[in-house]
Amino acid sequence: MPILKVDIASKSYPANAETLLVFEKIRFEIGRGEFVCLVGPSGCGKTTLLNILAGLDPRYEGEVLFKGRRVDGCDADRLMIFQELGLFPWLTVRENIAFGLKCKKVPAAKRARICSEYLHMVDLARFQDSYIHEISAGMKQRVALARALAMDPEVLLMDEPFSSLDAQARDLLYEELQRIWGITKKTIVFVTHNVREAVCLGDRILVFSAPPVARLKASFSVGLPRPRTIEANGVIDIVKCVFGELKSEIRKTYDHEFHP
Amino acid sequence: MTTNFIRSRIVPCALFYTALLLGWQVLVVLRIGPSYIFPSPLNVALSLAEGFRDRSFWFGILVSFRRLLTGFSLAIAVGGVLGALLLKSRTFEKTAGSLILGLQTLPSICWFPLALVWFGLSEGSIIFVVVMGSVFSFTMTIHAGLKNIPPIYVNIGRNMGVRGPALLWDVFIPAALPSLLLGLRQSWAFAWRSLLAGELLFNSQGLGFLLNMGRELNDINRVVAVMLVIMAIGVFIDKLVFGRMELAVRTRYGLKPS
Repeated sequence: MPILKVDIASKSYPANAETLLVFEKIRFEIGRGEFVCLVGPSGCGKTTLLNILAGLDPRYEGEVLFKGRRVDGCDADRLMIFQELGLFPWLTVRENIAFGLKCKKVPAAKRARICSEYLHMVDLARFQDSYIHEISAGMKQRVALARALAMDPEVLLMDEPFSSLDAQARDLLYEELQRIWGITKKTIVFVTHNVREAVCLGDRILVFSAPPVARLKASFSVGLPRPRTIEANGVIDIVKCVFGELKSEIRKTYDHEFHP
Repeated sequence: MTTNFIRSRIVPCALFYTALLLGWQVLVVLRIGPSYIFPSPLNVALSLAEGFRDRSFWFGILVSFRRLLTGFSLAIAVGGVLGALLLKSRTFEKTAGSLILGLQTLPSICWFPLALVWFGLSEGSIIFVVVMGSVFSFTMTIHAGLKNIPPIYVNIGRNMGVRGPALLWDVFIPAALPSLLLGLRQSWAFAWRSLLAGELLFNSQGLGFLLNMGRELNDINRVVAVMLVIMAIGVFIDKLVFGRMELAVRTRYGLKPS
C-alpha cells in the first residue's frame, strides 16, 4: 500500500468575489521510503499541495490518503520543513530540536538521548547551546531537519528548503540529506524549482504544468546510484529531459503573466 | 566600566547637569521671583536630604509602591486574560474590542469619582484607579503582540501537534515576548501616572500626598524635592528594570537593540 495516495479533483482559493482555481486533477502515489521531488514553474501550487499533504490546508476537492486514512488535519507523522524554516529564536539549537518532543511530553532523559542522536547526525553537537541567530544559514537548515527528524515522522515534507543558500552550502546539504535519508529511511516529498536539485535528490520527479490551473504533466524515475552529486553525468542527462518538459511550461507562465 | 564609557556617557551627562544647575542658580541670583515661589537648588537639595533623613520620603515611597504593585499585578492578571481572550475568540474581539479601546482612551483620573462612590476615601479607591488606568492598555498591547507574531511559528506548532493552551504558552508567548515587554513597560507608565493622580486627591500618605502636602505648607522646596524623587523613581524603573529586561531579551532573540 502506498504511504500517500493523492487524488485531488481541484483546489481553489477565494480571491475577491470569485474563486481562483490553483490546480486540478492531481493524481499520484508515493511509496514508503521513497524520495519524490515536485518541480514546476512558480505559482503552480507546489507549496499549496504540500500544505494539503501536511494537513495545514484541509479545503480541497478530492482525497488525500495517508496510510489509507483521509488527511484532514495535522499529524506529527507528516512533518513540514518550511521554506522560512521557522526556527524559534528564543531557544538554543538543542532546545529547538527538543521542542516537538517536549510538547509530546517525552520524558526528559529520553528527550536528551534523542536530541543528542540527531545533533550528531546533522553534525551540530558543537553548536547545541548556540542561539539561532548565532549560526550560519546552512546550520539552520540542519537544525530544521533535525527538529523534524527528532519527532520520528513517517513523511518529511520539504518546501524549497535550500533555496536561500549559497551554492557551496547547498552542495554539502545535498550530500547530507542523501546520507540522512539513507540512514533514517524516511519518505520525503521535496518541492523545488531547481531541476538539478530534484534530479540529484529524488527517486522520482513529478513535473507540474504552468498556471493558471496547473496539472501533473510528467513523471521521471531516476535510477542513478547514490550518493549523487549535481555534476554527475547521469544527473545532467536526466536534467536535460526534465528541463525540456519544464521549459515550455515556464514559457507559458511568462506569456500568461506578461500577455494575459 | 571602560574609559570609553566614561568619556562618551558620563562626562557629557555631568557637564549637562552642571550647566543646568548653574543656569538655575543664575535665575535665582537674578531674583526672578521671591524664594517662596522660585526655589534655589541649594534649598531643594536641603529639603531632599531632610525628607530622607526624617524618613517621610522613604515611608511615602513604600506606601506608593505597595499600591502600585498591588494594582499593577491585578492589571497584568486581568489584562493578560482579556488579551488572550481577544486572540482566541473572533466574536469577543469584534464585540468587546471596541469597548476595551474606548475604556483605554478614558484618562485614568476619570475613574476617580466612581471609585470614591464605590470605595470611599480609601486604599481601595487608589488601587482601583491604578488598575483601571493600566489594565486596558495592557490588554491591547498584549493582544496586538500575540496577534502579530510571524504565522510560521504557529504553523510549526500546529504541524507538530501543539494546540490549545500549550500553543499559547510554548509558541505565542515566547514569540511575542519582545513586544509583551514593551506592553509591560507602557502599562507600568500608565499605572504610575494613575497612582500619583489618585494620591494627590486626598490624605493618602504616598508620594502624591507628600507633593500636595508641600503645597499646602507653602514649602516650594519640598514640592520640587518630591517631584525630583518621583522623576528619579520613574527613570530608575524604566531604564534599569524594563530597559535591562528588554536588552536581555533582544540580545537572546538576536534582535537589534531598540
